Amino acid sequence: MKNKLKTISIFWPVAIWGLLLCLATGCDNFVDVDQPNSQLTGVAVFENNTTATAAMKDVYAKMRDNGLLTGKSVGLSNLLGQYIDELVCYQTGITTAEPFYTNSLTATNGYVQQLWNSTYNQIYSANAVIEGVTASTGMTTTQKNQLIGEALFVRALLHSYLAGVYGGCPYITSTDYQQNSTVHRLTTMAVYNLCIADLEEAATLLPESYISYERIRPNQYAARALLARLYLYTGQLVQASNEASAVLNQTAMYVWEPDLDKVFLKECTSTIWQFSAGGGYANAQEGALFVFNAGPPPTVALNPLLYTAFAPNDQRKNHWIRSITDGTTTWYQPYKYQQDNSSTTTTSYSIMLRLAEQYLIRAEARARQGDLIGAKEDLDFVRNNAGLSPTTAVTATDLVTAVMEERRFEFFTELGMRFFDLQRSGNLDATLTPVKPGWNTTDGLWPVPQSELLINPNLAPQNAGY
Amino acid sequence: MNKNRIGKGRWLFAAGLCLYFQMAFSFRDKKQEAREKTEHNETLRQAQGDKQQITGTVTDSNGVLPGVTITVKGTSTATISDNTGKYSITAKTDEVLVFSYVGYKEVTVSIDSRSVINVTMQEDSTTLKEVTINAGYYTVKDKERTGSIAKITSKDIEKQPVSNVLSAMQGRMAGVDIVQTTGVPGGGFDIRIRGLNSMRSGGNAPLYVIDGVPFASDAIGDSQTSSTLPTATSPLNAINPSDIESIEILKDADATAIYGSRGANGVVLITTKKGKAGKTQFTASAGTGTGQITKKLDLLNTAQYLAIRQQAFANDGITTYPYNAYDVNGTWDANRYTDWQKELTGGTAVIKTLQASVSGGSSQTHFLVSGNTYTQSTVFPGDFDYKKGAVHVSLDHESDDKRFKVVFSGGYDVQDNDQPAADLTRISRNLAPNAPALYDADGNLNWENSTWENPLAALNSESLAKTNSLVANSTFSYQLPYGFMAKTSLGFTDLRHHESRTDPSTIYDPVYEAGAEYSSIFLTTSSRQSWIVEPQLQWQRTVGKGKVTALVGGTFQNQESNSMLQYGSGFTSNSLLYNLASASFSKTFYDDVTEYRYQAFFGRVNFSWQDKYILNLTGRRDGSSRFGPGKQFANFGAVGAAWLFSEEKGVKEKLAFLSFGKLRASYGITGNDQIGDYQFLNTYQSSGTVYDGTVGLSPIRLYNPDFSWETNKKLEAALELGFLKDRIFTTVSWYRNRSSNQLIGMPLAATTGFTSMQSNLAATVENTGLELTLRTVNLQKDSFGWTTNFNLTVPKNKLIAFPGLASSTYSNQYVIGESINIKKLYHFTGVNPQTGVYEFEDVNGDGQLTIADAQTVKDFSPTYYGGLQNQVRYKNFQLDFLFQFVKQLNWNAATQYSAPGAFGNQPASVVGGWQQAGDIATHQIYTTGLNSDAVNAYGRYATSDAAVSDASYFRLKNVALSYVVPSYVKGLQCKLTLQGQNLLLITPYKDGDPEFRSFNYLPPLRIISLGAEFKF
Repeated sequence: MKNKLKTISIFWPVAIWGLLLCLATGCDNFVDVDQPNSQLTGVAVFENNTTATAAMKDVYAKMRDNGLLTGKSVGLSNLLGQYIDELVCYQTGITTAEPFYTNSLTATNGYVQQLWNSTYNQIYSANAVIEGVTASTGMTTTQKNQLIGEALFVRALLHSYLAGVYGGCPYITSTDYQQNSTVHRLTTMAVYNLCIADLEEAATLLPESYISYERIRPNQYAARALLARLYLYTGQLVQASNEASAVLNQTAMYVWEPDLDKVFLKECTSTIWQFSAGGGYANAQEGALFVFNAGPPPTVALNPLLYTAFAPNDQRKNHWIRSITDGTTTWYQPYKYQQDNSSTTTTSYSIMLRLAEQYLIRAEARARQGDLIGAKEDLDFVRNNAGLSPTTAVTATDLVTAVMEERRFEFFTELGMRFFDLQRSGNLDATLTPVKPGWNTTDGLWPVPQSELLINPNLAPQNAGY
Repeated sequence: MNKNRIGKGRWLFAAGLCLYFQMAFSFRDKKQEAREKTEHNETLRQAQGDKQQITGTVTDSNGVLPGVTITVKGTSTATISDNTGKYSITAKTDEVLVFSYVGYKEVTVSIDSRSVINVTMQEDSTTLKEVTINAGYYTVKDKERTGSIAKITSKDIEKQPVSNVLSAMQGRMAGVDIVQTTGVPGGGFDIRIRGLNSMRSGGNAPLYVIDGVPFASDAIGDSQTSSTLPTATSPLNAINPSDIESIEILKDADATAIYGSRGANGVVLITTKKGKAGKTQFTASAGTGTGQITKKLDLLNTAQYLAIRQQAFANDGITTYPYNAYDVNGTWDANRYTDWQKELTGGTAVIKTLQASVSGGSSQTHFLVSGNTYTQSTVFPGDFDYKKGAVHVSLDHESDDKRFKVVFSGGYDVQDNDQPAADLTRISRNLAPNAPALYDADGNLNWENSTWENPLAALNSESLAKTNSLVANSTFSYQLPYGFMAKTSLGFTDLRHHESRTDPSTIYDPVYEAGAEYSSIFLTTSSRQSWIVEPQLQWQRTVGKGKVTALVGGTFQNQESNSMLQYGSGFTSNSLLYNLASASFSKTFYDDVTEYRYQAFFGRVNFSWQDKYILNLTGRRDGSSRFGPGKQFANFGAVGAAWLFSEEKGVKEKLAFLSFGKLRASYGITGNDQIGDYQFLNTYQSSGTVYDGTVGLSPIRLYNPDFSWETNKKLEAALELGFLKDRIFTTVSWYRNRSSNQLIGMPLAATTGFTSMQSNLAATVENTGLELTLRTVNLQKDSFGWTTNFNLTVPKNKLIAFPGLASSTYSNQYVIGESINIKKLYHFTGVNPQTGVYEFEDVNGDGQLTIADAQTVKDFSPTYYGGLQNQVRYKNFQLDFLFQFVKQLNWNAATQYSAPGAFGNQPASVVGGWQQAGDIATHQIYTTGLNSDAVNAYGRYATSDAAVSDASYFRLKNVALSYVVPSYVKGLQCKLTLQGQNLLLITPYKDGDPEFRSFNYLPPLRIISLGAEFKF
C-alpha cells in the first residue's frame, strides 16, 4: 500500500511536468503576434479606398518633400537651375550644390545618388499602388481607375525626368526586387515612349474633373498636359498640339490668370496640377529656398545673366524677380513663390503643370508643322500677358527659336525646364560654354551613381565624361 | 485573433500555478509521514541526555560575523549565528563544533565541557573555489564549472559611489569592456562582452537577467526629448546598486547556450540581496559626495585667440573687420578672458545617498526590506538634479520538511531626472575666450546688445525624465523523491517612462520679443510590460563515483511596448508649456504598440566522474516573434568539459605546490534576435506627413519574410591553476567567437525602390582574445592582510568574410581582415610650405582627393585592457584601490572644431599656423572661412589619421577606505567609509577624458564621497 502511494506521488508530478514541457514545444503559435497598431499589411491597405488613397497621397507627399520634383534645395528647380545659367551658388563644398553650379559632378556625388534613390523609391510606391489596387477586392472599379490612373501618371512623370538628367534609365513597372535589381538602362527616347504609353492609359482611367478641389491630384487633363510635353520631346508634333489643345479647350476649368502676382498662388485657375503644402501653415517650399531678405544670399540667388536677358518691359522681370541690395551690391532672387514658410496662412503650393506651358508647346508644335499663324497666336498670347509686344519672328525656325526664348523667361527655376529644352534642341554646348567656365560637352548628362553601377553592372556603361 | 492568443498565454500561466497546487496536495501524505518520523527521532535523541547549551560569538577581522553555520560534527544538529554574531547550540560535552562560512576558513573546536566558545574566523582565498556560481537556470560550484563566468559581489559594488552598477563593474572583469557615454546622471553605457559580434550598431547588447527575469535593454524614450544624452539611457539605471548581491557574466558557449538566441553577446545575471536567518538586523547608511569634471581641454587664451583671428582676416585679405566679427572688431572687450569650461561645466555636483534595510528571519523564513534614495545635483550652472528612490523586498520560505520552497523578490525604482536640454560642454569649448559676461550689472542675463547668445539662456530649455520601474519574480520549487525537483519561475517587469524637452520663448534674446507663442515642447511617453513563465524540472543522482545532474525547462515570455512622441507649439503662457491641450499647434509623430513574444525549451545534462571529469551539455530550442512564419524557431546548444587534473593521484603526489588545476573547454552555438519587432512583415505605416489633409501611408521596406537568426559560434579553452593552497590563483582563457549569418541590410540596387533589405548576409565577424586573471594573497595575518586581483584582456576583432563588400554601400566602412570598429581615413602628409594648406596622400594617384583616397585604417577597438585591484586590511581599517588601464585610439579635438581662424575658440595646440611661403608649420593657414581650399583641407584633416590620437590611459578608478569604529554599545556596529572614483589619470591624450567617446558631452565625473553605516 505504502509503495503504491509512493509510486503514484512520483508519477503524477513527473508526468504532468513532462506534459507541460511537451506543451511548451507543442504550441509554436505562441510566438505569432499581430501586426503593430501603427501599421497595416500591404494587403489590408488596398482593401479599402481610404487607406489605398492615403498610400497614393503619400507618394505625392514624398515627391513634394524629396526627390527630383521637390521645391527644396535638393530638387531640380535648384540643382538644374545652378547647372545651367539660371542660378548662382553661394555655398562651397562637395556636400552643397556647388558641384552642380561649377559643372564638376562626380559619380559619387551625394545629390546624384540621393535623387536617383528617392525617385526610384517613389516609383516603387507608385507600382505598389498599381499592384495593390489591381489585386484589391474591396474597391469599386471607379475607385480603382482613379488610383491606378494617378499611379501611372506619377510613374511616367518621374521616369521622364530621370531619363532626361541621367540620359536614359531603367523603366520600373513592378515591385519585384529580384527583377528590378538587375535591370538595364533604356535610351531616353525609349523611356519617353514608355512614359507616353503609361500616360495614355492614365488619361483613359482618370476622370475629367478633379477629385480634389485644390487641383492637388491629377485629372485626365494633367495626364494630357504631360502627354503634350512628351509628344513634343519625342517629335510627335500632331499629337503634341492635339493634347495641348485638349487641355486649352477646357476653358471653363482652365481660366488664364492675367495677374502675374497671382500665377503662383494656390487658387490660380491656370494651374493644371500642384502639390498640396505640408501640415500647419506651410507654403510652397520654393519660397523658403529662394527668398532671402538681406545680402549676401545665404545659399543661392538668380544669375544676373538671366536678369539682364529679360526685355526691359517684360513684366515678369518685375513681378517674378526681386532684388536685394546692401548699398553696393545688388542680388536677385526668383520671386515666383513669394512666401517663405513663415506666413500665418497657406498661400502657395508648388505648381507642377500650368497652362502657359501648353500654349508654348502648341506654339512650338504648330511652328514645326508649318502652322505659323497658329504658332504666333499662342506665343503672342503668353507674350502679351507679360507686357510684351507681339513677336517679330516670321519663319518657322525663328518662331521655334522665339518660343524657346520665351520658355526661358516663363519657366525659369521651374524644374530645369530650360535644361531639357537646350538638351532636346542640342543647344547645351553652344549656350552654356560661353557663360559656364566649367562646362564640357559631356556635362549634358549627369553620371549614373557609382554605387548603382557597382551593385548592378547591367547599368553600364557610365555616361561619357565620368 | 490576438485575443485568442493572449488567452492562450494566460491559460498557460494559470496551468503552471494549478500544477503547483496539485503537486503540493499530492505530496501532503508524504510530508505528514516525514514530519512524524522527524519528531520521533528527536524524541529518541533527547532521551539519550548528556547534553548542554553552548553559546558564544563569532567574529572576523571586521567585527561580528552573522550567518555562520555551526554544526555538531557527525550529527545533523546545526544553527546559524545571528546578526550580532551570537549563536546557541545544544551538544554533548565531548563533541566537536564546526564553524563554516563561505569565503572563510573552516574552524573546528572541541567543546571540552565549555559552555561559552567564542571564535574568530579568517577569510580564506582557498575556499573561494567552493563558492557557488549562479549560471542562470542552475548553480554550479566554482571549481566544477565548465563554462566561463566572471563574478563580482556586493563587496566590490558597495565600495563605489556610483548610481549605475555598470560603472562599478569597469575594470574588474576580464573580457568585459564598459564605457560610460556621459557624465550626466541617468545616462547610458556601452557594454561589450568579448567584443562586437554584430554589424548592426544596435545588435551588441548583452542579455540582462534580474533574479531570473529578462530585463529588456532596448532604448526607451526618444532622442528628441533626451537631448542631453549622447546615447540611449541605460536600463540598469533602474536597479539600485546596493540592492545587488552579485553579478555574474556568462561569456562562453557553455554558459550562454542555455540562453539560446539571446546569449550571443553574453548574459549579465543580477542577483539581488536576500534575507538571512538570525535576529532582525537593521542597517542604515548615509553618504555625501562631490563630483567634478576630471579633465578640461587646453584652449586658447584671449591673446592667442585674437592673434589667430587677426591673422586669419589678414590671410583672407580682409582689412576692415566685418560688423559681425564682434570678437575682433572692438565690440567685445579685447582684454576680457573667461575660462568658459570652468564657468559652464566647472561646478560641483553634490551627491547624497541614504539607505536603510531590515532583514532577518527564522530558519524557514527569511526576509529583507530595503529602501534607498540617491540625489545628484549638476556641474552645470543652475538647479538641475537627478533623484532616485528604490525599495527592494525579498522573502523566502521553506516548508518544515525543506521540500517546498518559495522565493519572492521585488524591486520598485523611481527616477526623476531634470537636466538642461543641451549639454553645455560643447559651448564651453567653443565660446570665444573674450565673449561677454553672463550677467549684466543688474544681475539679468547679459545679451550684450544682441551680439551673442547667452549660453545660460539655453538652460531654460529643460529635459525632464521620469522613470518608474518594477521587477518582480517568484520562484516555487518542490523537492520530489528520486532526486527530482520541480520549479517554476514567474516574473513580471513594468517600466514606465515620461520624457519632455521644452523650448520656452525665454531661451531667445528678449530683443526679439518672442512670447509664449514661440514656445514648444516635445513629449515622449513610453512603457514596457513583460511577463515570463519558466517551468523547470531538475534531477540529480549519484551513482558510485559518478554524479548526473539534469534539467529541462520551458520559457514563455511576452513583452508589450508602447511609445508615443508628441509635439506642441504656440502657447499663450510659458506656465502652460507642459500642457499639450494649451498648444495652438500639436502633432503626434508616432504612437506605436509593439508586441514581442518568445518561447523556448531548454535542457542541461551534466556528468561528473569522481569530481575529476566533468561533461556539461546544454541546449535550447528558441522561437521568437521577430521572425517570419517558418523562421521563428532555431536550435542552439553547447558542449563543455572540464578536467580537474590536480585531483589525479600522480599530480597530487608529485606537484604538491599545485593546489588546484583544471583544464576546461567548450564549443557551441548561440544566437541573436536583436533586430527589433515586425521586420519581416510586409507593411505600410503612417508616414506622419500630411497631403491633402490626410496622413499618408508609406511602404516601410522591401518584404523579406525569410531572414533568420544571427548565429554566434563560440569556442573557448581555459586553464585554471592554484598554487600554495590557492594563495596564488590564476585563470588563462582563450576564446574565438564567430558571428555569422549577420542580420543586416543587404545592399540592393536603388532601382528596387530601396537600397537595402533586411537579410542574412554571409558576412562573418570574428572575435578572438586572451583573458588572464590572477589573484594573490600576499599576506594573511590576523590583524593584517593584503590581496591583489589582476585582470587583463587582449581582444582582437576581425571581419573575416563579406561577400560583395566592394560593390556595397559598406565599402567605405569595412575592410576584410580588419576590425568592424575601424574608420578609413586620409593619410595626412603635412602642411604645404607654399600654399600653407594641409596635404594628404593621393593614394590612387588620380590627382584628386576623393573618398577613394581615404584608405588609412584606424581601429578604435581597445588593443588590451584590464584592472589591478588591491585590498589591504589592517586591524579595523580596510583599503581598496583599483587601477584601470586601456590601450586604445580615440578621435582628438580636430574632429570637433572648424578650420582655425573662424569665430570660436580652438585647442591651444593650433598655435603656430602657416603664415607665408616657405614656412614649415604644423598647422595650416588660418582662415575666417573664406579660403575654401583651407576649409576643404580642414574637412579632410578632421577625417584623416591626424585626427586620431593615442588615448591609452592608466587610471586610479576607485579608492575605498573603511574603518570599523570600535563598538562601545552592545550590538551596535559602525563603519565609516571614504570613497573616490576616477581619481587619478595618466594618459598621453590631450583632449579631455581618453576613456570617453562622446566628444563634447560631459565626461564621467571625479567623485569623492564620505559615508557612515550603522548596524544593530
